[in-house]
Amino acid sequence: MFDYDFLVNLLSAMVRNATPIAIAAMGAVVCERSGIVNIAMEGIMTVGAFTAAIVAGATGNPWIGLLAAIVFGGIFSMLHAFATVNLHLNHVVSGAVLNVLALGITAYLMIIIVGHPGTTDSIPVSLSAYRWAIPVLSSIPLVGQMLFNQTPIVYFGFIMIPLFTWFLNRTKVGLHVRAAGEHPLALETIGVSVYKMRYLGVLVSGLVGGMAGAYLSIEGNVSFTEGMTGGRGFIAMAAMISGGWHPVGAFVAALFFGLADALQVRFQVFQVLNVPEELFIVLPYVLTVVAVAGLVRRSRPPKAVGTDFMIERTQD
Amino acid sequence: MSASKNTQSTGMLPRLLSPAIVLLGAAGTVLWLGATMSGGETFYFWGIWLIAAAGALYLWRYRMLNGPAEFKDHLHRAGRTMAVPIMGVTLAIIIGGVIMLLTGYDPFEAYGAMFFGGLVRNWHISVLNAAPLIFTALSVAFAFKAGLFNIGAEGQYYLGAMAATWLSLRIAMLALVTIPLVFVFAGLLGAIWMIIPAFLKVRTGAHEVITTMMLAHTARYLSPIFIRANGGDPADSTHPYVTDKILESSILPRLQEFLPNANYRVHTGILIAIVVALLIHYILYHTSWGFEIRAVGENKDAARAQGISVGKNIFRALLIAGFLAGLAGFNQVNGLDHRLYENLQAGYGWNGISVALLAAGNPIGVVFTGLLWGMLDAGGQFMARTTSTPSAIVEIVKGTILFLVVARYIYTAIGNIRRRRQRERAAREQIAEDARQEA
Repeated sequence: MFDYDFLVNLLSAMVRNATPIAIAAMGAVVCERSGIVNIAMEGIMTVGAFTAAIVAGATGNPWIGLLAAIVFGGIFSMLHAFATVNLHLNHVVSGAVLNVLALGITAYLMIIIVGHPGTTDSIPVSLSAYRWAIPVLSSIPLVGQMLFNQTPIVYFGFIMIPLFTWFLNRTKVGLHVRAAGEHPLALETIGVSVYKMRYLGVLVSGLVGGMAGAYLSIEGNVSFTEGMTGGRGFIAMAAMISGGWHPVGAFVAALFFGLADALQVRFQVFQVLNVPEELFIVLPYVLTVVAVAGLVRRSRPPKAVGTDFMIERTQD
Repeated sequence: MSASKNTQSTGMLPRLLSPAIVLLGAAGTVLWLGATMSGGETFYFWGIWLIAAAGALYLWRYRMLNGPAEFKDHLHRAGRTMAVPIMGVTLAIIIGGVIMLLTGYDPFEAYGAMFFGGLVRNWHISVLNAAPLIFTALSVAFAFKAGLFNIGAEGQYYLGAMAATWLSLRIAMLALVTIPLVFVFAGLLGAIWMIIPAFLKVRTGAHEVITTMMLAHTARYLSPIFIRANGGDPADSTHPYVTDKILESSILPRLQEFLPNANYRVHTGILIAIVVALLIHYILYHTSWGFEIRAVGENKDAARAQGISVGKNIFRALLIAGFLAGLAGFNQVNGLDHRLYENLQAGYGWNGISVALLAAGNPIGVVFTGLLWGMLDAGGQFMARTTSTPSAIVEIVKGTILFLVVARYIYTAIGNIRRRRQRERAAREQIAEDARQEA
């Protein structure tokens, strides 16, 4: 049972399961580096997954669905930016409220558009139909199948690792974003708007959060089901923390959760041990707690994350 | 203050008033909550009148004790506290109506059905919904006072429900002994489930939002194992999955036992919830424990400088929060269902967050926002049944209410803009006036 094929299957399932978590986690990294805590990732992913399924179903083209998910994820995240930056609302409170709102909006639109609650109709073509084995690279044993014979959004996730690392460390805007999260007052002093940088950070997390949601509904699946995010937005937060607020670290941590998820399914199917299957379902959740507990002390959050920044305007 | 003390010479009256207020308020609350519309509508309004009378007496007593000036100030402050929630609710209902109009439903018909269903026809369902919500919201609110966010109250709620079922299936004693035992046991298991996040928070700083959330999912998936071990038969096709019925002696008394007109299903859980809310208010604002917890919540550094142990208070606050959420499970199993269903009772933990946020963490406020949420749910179901409007609109209204109420800064900002406009207008008029005079 534990032969080469099993290993290949397990590892590529690990990468697939890790993708939505990794993408959301990397978006959350940019957001938290700008100083905004974003526990609304769960809601953003829900909005993205729903939009993707509806648009892909209506147009018959999953790529348009993906684009719509990204756009609507970004729009929805702007509510969080508005609430935390302009309205100076507690970041965690705003995130929790937006998670509630996302569930309500998708449930309502589902009845209006689809006509019934629960699950949307299946889309004609899913993004997994565009699986692409990269020539040469995919023929490397094990690693080739695991990394280079995947579906589009998985590749987007790979591209994001160097892209976000470069953005945060090598570009002027990226440095400004980080400054907004470390020492906002200093940034404002040199004439860069902290508000704008924080909006940008939240927008990035919204765009990629929408993409992560689209993965769930139109690449890993063919329809949207209520509650399909299943806490992945929060697991992404855990991956971000365990990964030390760095895109590379976040991705590696997400792979770990992907592995837990892939193992969980296989334990259930193969009945390896004679214990209730539910014990395996909880595995990723329990591992998240362990990871947050064990790794959190070694990583340092951005100094001003979660703090409010208000420009005092002198009376005119 | 000393001057107002002297005005107490009016004598024994204020002191005699206190028990009268409590009695009137309690009687009114019971009558109000226990009323059904099938022949009992008189009770409903009697209850409201009694509560109003208690409120009026309270204000009168306050005026006698503190003098008219402070009384006016008190009213003013109370009005300002109430203004934001009331404005938020009103605005959200209007926004919900606009959404319904845009999507082709009749908002007047829908809201008519919702309020009729929630406040009149199915008032008992509103009350039944409110009881567990008040418990979970108290849990979130209590943690909130310590600066913590118990987003996973759902998990402790499940643990409490499992604990209540387990014990209620096993001990056959006098109801007077059994029910308090189950009550405490359910709360304790909820608190025990909270030990892990509390310990991790204090020791490693692991954020309680993530740990409690993950443990909530864990508890949800563990419940089927528990149900199978306690009478749930996987081969049985009846859905949902359910345990055996609990013993008769552990069932909470129904309101009908002393209010003949009350709906059969309404149980005393709601009264327990209100008493617990008062108790939590007392602990938070009238004991040193509560003071320390609030001090830590307000400002950790200042609290530490005062010699208050931050870690100990965080631990304490989270455990009490777990206890409170566990009680919601007790309420649901021993009061309403008399058995544990899989997934059927889900959602009270998540909704408790909204209820607590809406009440700004105030334990007394939680009772009212819990009833409001319960009313919206019951009314929404009634609306979906009688009109063709999807009940999910209620979820949007709820989300919008929350957003508008927690984002208090909106009102400050609007006020600032208005004041600036007024100033500008005044300045322009002044300039025009000056110009006219010069001419």
